Amino acid sequence: MGQESTQTFEINGDNGNTINGVCGASLLHELPDDVLSLVSKALQPRDLCNMSLSCKRLNVMVNSDKVWWQQCLQVAENGPDNLQAWRNFVSSYKVICRFLLGVKHLIGIWVHQNPELGNMVYVMWGFLSVVGCRIIPQELGSQGFESGLLWAPVFEVICNWDGSLVFFLHGREKDKDYCYPGSLKPAKDDCNVLLLEVKPFRQSVLKENLPLIQDRKWSPPENIASSSGEPYLNGTTSRLGSKKFMGQRIMETNSMQLRSKDSDSIQFSRLGFGDRRRLLELVAHRVRLKVPPPVSGPLFPGAGIGSSLDKADASKDLLLLSERRSLMILMHKHGDPNGKKPFSGSQYEGIQSEIALKILCHVSESQDLQAAKDSQGFDSVKGKSILQGPSTSSTKWTVSGWEPTKKQSFAKFIKERMKQIIGVGAGIQDGERGNSSCSGDNKRVQLQEFLKLGDTVGLCLHASCLKLSMYRAWPIMHDNRFALYKMPEQKPEKGREYAGLWGGTFGWPPGRPPEDKPGKALFFLLLSYEKTDEGWILIATKILEGTHYVLHPNGSAMFTARVDELSSERFPWEGDRDDSPVEIVCVYKGEGIANGYGFRYPGSKPGDLFVCQKGLLAFVWRESKSVLTLQRLDLQALLRDGERVATLPPVANFAYLTKSYSNVFAGYSGLTTTGSATRSKTTP
Amino acid sequence: MAELPNTTMANECKVKLKSKDDKIFEVEYAVAMQSQTLKNALAHTGCTDTALPLHDISSQILAKVIEYCEYHVNAANTISEKDVKTWDEELVKHMDQDTLFRLIVAAKYLEIHNLVDLMCKTIADRIKDKSVEELREIFHVQNDFTPEEEEQVRRETKWAHGE
Repeated sequence: MGQESTQTFEINGDNGNTINGVCGASLLHELPDDVLSLVSKALQPRDLCNMSLSCKRLNVMVNSDKVWWQQCLQVAENGPDNLQAWRNFVSSYKVICRFLLGVKHLIGIWVHQNPELGNMVYVMWGFLSVVGCRIIPQELGSQGFESGLLWAPVFEVICNWDGSLVFFLHGREKDKDYCYPGSLKPAKDDCNVLLLEVKPFRQSVLKENLPLIQDRKWSPPENIASSSGEPYLNGTTSRLGSKKFMGQRIMETNSMQLRSKDSDSIQFSRLGFGDRRRLLELVAHRVRLKVPPPVSGPLFPGAGIGSSLDKADASKDLLLLSERRSLMILMHKHGDPNGKKPFSGSQYEGIQSEIALKILCHVSESQDLQAAKDSQGFDSVKGKSILQGPSTSSTKWTVSGWEPTKKQSFAKFIKERMKQIIGVGAGIQDGERGNSSCSGDNKRVQLQEFLKLGDTVGLCLHASCLKLSMYRAWPIMHDNRFALYKMPEQKPEKGREYAGLWGGTFGWPPGRPPEDKPGKALFFLLLSYEKTDEGWILIATKILEGTHYVLHPNGSAMFTARVDELSSERFPWEGDRDDSPVEIVCVYKGEGIANGYGFRYPGSKPGDLFVCQKGLLAFVWRESKSVLTLQRLDLQALLRDGERVATLPPVANFAYLTKSYSNVFAGYSGLTTTGSATRSKTTP
Repeated sequence: MAELPNTTMANECKVKLKSKDDKIFEVEYAVAMQSQTLKNALAHTGCTDTALPLHDISSQILAKVIEYCEYHVNAANTISEKDVKTWDEELVKHMDQDTLFRLIVAAKYLEIHNLVDLMCKTIADRIKDKSVEELREIFHVQNDFTPEEEEQVRRETKWAHGE
């Protein structure tokens, strides 16, 4: 081929450097940034960290923002859409990557069986955080499926300065909002249950002898846009060699190393329901923190970011969010910024075990006596939550449920009822109670053993992987775990076009109701495909229902459709709201849930699934001609646009365990007040 | 500017490349076109007898690049994907770390995309899942951390190991 090239290679490389000892290092030095970031695409954070440990030069090279930016993109493919905006508020993309790794498996829809109307918590990206938002049962807003949603915060996990996780539970007690700091370990990819637990912490001996670093006053970095916007507590890996700095850091982190293991979680879950509930309530009550202004503001960027809001407003928004984050990180460790220091060292480490022991064991003795009385009947009306003191007998039990006595405001009624339910719940549900004093002693011993595992006990969120059985795309849940269960979500793809989350309403025409008619209940359904003996079926699982009183259990399949069987039924209506013709793409045979079989085991009746032109689905029951229309929704956008409502007391806010068929999350009477006219935009 | 006007001319054109150490290599036009950089350069100059200088690439590396491009010119049409893959693996199998680095830098400069991908994958495979000690050997580096410094870095990176 007429080449002049030689086929022999020279042993010496360029520049006459021989290939030995240090040559590799000098070559690395020449490796351009973008080439390294290209190679790093095929590597994991673990490999990069190993490289950073091999020598100082590699350490500096590998810790480039370019490299870690690549990692961030890979770690969270469905990640936040504003990573670059986040970067201005942390010291490096490495920090963001660590955070993303720790929380990305929390993103998604989490549910609980109770209340039966639906308990749907959507965990989404916030601002250098993830936020668990409970979507409360509600009616369709005035803008149909584009209306903002009513929601309440359940928990949030914030990115600490070094990328570790800062967990807060949200709740409301006696008309005041509080946040409850706790701990959270990075969530693994197979986690399917979020458990709210109490966890023992052991304190390090060394800590007591050190001047507390946290005694120094901390202030937010002045120049937020600078890349070193991070306080003294955590250095980047390039800050090596400062011995004093090093010394303090070694000491501080020792106490964190002596943490509890997973076996403690098993221990907690072995405690009786009543003990677990009381322990959770006690710890929550004691660690709670008031929410000062930036913290009480928005938890995530509003609807305006990136769209119609102008740049100045958007950056003001972010600054406020950053202030909020800084303050919450501080509060997580140091408690009330204006008040006394936490006696155990860190606010999230909770309360001293001895104190918990004293209170709970004293109480459980008197509760045992109460339980013995309770087993006779509903005297437990007068039961009390240990934290709230005596309740007034402002409610009475009737066949259809709790009802307020005459001169009670509805809000107060709900509150009183909460107190009693929380106090009573154990009595009714705890199958272990109302029994011999012998097992009571056993339980007390178990509780004592548990509390002795650490010097302090604090709240913790445990993202665990449990063996769950499913019934038709709905997990079968334990009644007495304080837990949220992950709903597996299928992604839409070829052959499974309709998988995922949909919003639905009954009636035709679809969407928002006309002005003069009453509101339409908003349903949330998760559609998934399953292979059965008869071929593939599409299942529509109801996960939230906006009616006043529920007709079918939470998690029921509202309809199923056999995607291999076309139907020749005609669509019952000619035109849409504005008389535009309805174009049907195809029709599938299916079954819709039936009324009249009782709440527990609903049957089904034949129906058809119509796929309409504009991305609309409509399921029509053949006999009754009821129609359920479905439309896709952008949950994140609707939450950003939405209205935040009051939460419940902390433990109930996480998992509401008392069986209920109505809307326990609405703090006011009826859902009509959530109609279009009275919705207001939250102001920051 | 346009590419060479007609295919016969393209077939006849030979591209001359000069390495850093002044060695001249002559390649077919089609071979050179696999490099986006060369493609752009030739679009301006047309077919020329002057050698294009490649200041940062040694003859050793340039030879390897040409070897790759010559194989891949026809590979897409005539050779099975599996065989191409095998050939690629053979090419890089015994390359030492330095050659790999130089080759990827050259490939990036010349914008030969599938060679860049091959290099990335090869280098990454050598790094992936290796312990710190093994990495030190691969990169020919020595541990210059003090024990305290090493301990600090270890602690700060514990999270990446699924802690």
